[in-house]
Amino acid sequence: MAWKTLYWEDTKEGEALPEATREITATTVVSCAIASRDFTPLHHDPDAAVAAGLKDIFLNTPTIYGFAGKYLTDWTGPEGEIKQISLRLMMPALSGDTLTMSGKVARKYIDDKQHLVDIEFTFSLPTMPNCTGKATVELPTRVSE
Amino acid sequence: MEQLKAYTNVDGPEVNAPDEVSKATIRHWCEAMQDGNPLYTDEGYARTSKYGSIVAPPTMLMAWSFPPLWPPIESHEGPLDNVLVLLDAAGFNQVIITGTSQRYLKPLFPGDRVSFNYRVENVSPERQTALGNGHFVTAVFVYRNQKGEEVGNQTLTILKYRTAA
Repeated sequence: MAWKTLYWEDTKEGEALPEATREITATTVVSCAIASRDFTPLHHDPDAAVAAGLKDIFLNTPTIYGFAGKYLTDWTGPEGEIKQISLRLMMPALSGDTLTMSGKVARKYIDDKQHLVDIEFTFSLPTMPNCTGKATVELPTRVSE
Repeated sequence: MEQLKAYTNVDGPEVNAPDEVSKATIRHWCEAMQDGNPLYTDEGYARTSKYGSIVAPPTMLMAWSFPPLWPPIESHEGPLDNVLVLLDAAGFNQVIITGTSQRYLKPLFPGDRVSFNYRVENVSPERQTALGNGHFVTAVFVYRNQKGEEVGNQTLTILKYRTAA
């Protein structure tokens, strides 16, 4: 199978990343929590979530990182190398929600020979954002050194 | 607050991840996240990549650091535990993560052993939030491989709050 490669030269500042969605079911919340080895009751026990003032179990933070990583390298292809991600977490993504992911190239630059793009992204719930994030990704270049 | 200050900017103990990095752990992560990046699960592709092998998704950093459910581990008595216990005792018994960042410095390969330590950088004064009154606690985690090389680090801001009546 051929994998796509997004070259640094083929991106531009302001460019939108393709939108993606993910249905969040109880299975999503629990399977992602277990895959991240997080047994905190808020991510598998609805009673614990209600006691904490929430309506249902919700995605844990490692999962938001996991979704962000997937969102970024689905766009760049496997040669995109994520350097950093920062997240501002707002409304938890609950079982039953649909998460819509969107983003754009905020900045394109070369630093210490690395061809980098800064991405700003938002994971949205129907009424408000689940989180906003920023990431830096190194991309392959068409110019050989 | 004085007691809380005593625990800030003190390094916690070095903690070893319960498991080494493995293809199975990586695949379980990719299965749940629905991440098809071939660097993580396609041996043929990964061998031809610049890494020459399967690597773990960099975003798995936190997955290496959760303690085992069983058998019980000896309490680490780290500064973060101490801060959380103090805040629990003061009635701020709920916890939620509000902000976080990760930097990825080196890839992790199957067979690598991760360890980490952390320090609490700041505990805020009591603040009003939509969830209830609480304190924001900021901690920084540093992750290393078995060679002692830093593979990544993470900042975590946690709100310890009291559910609004």
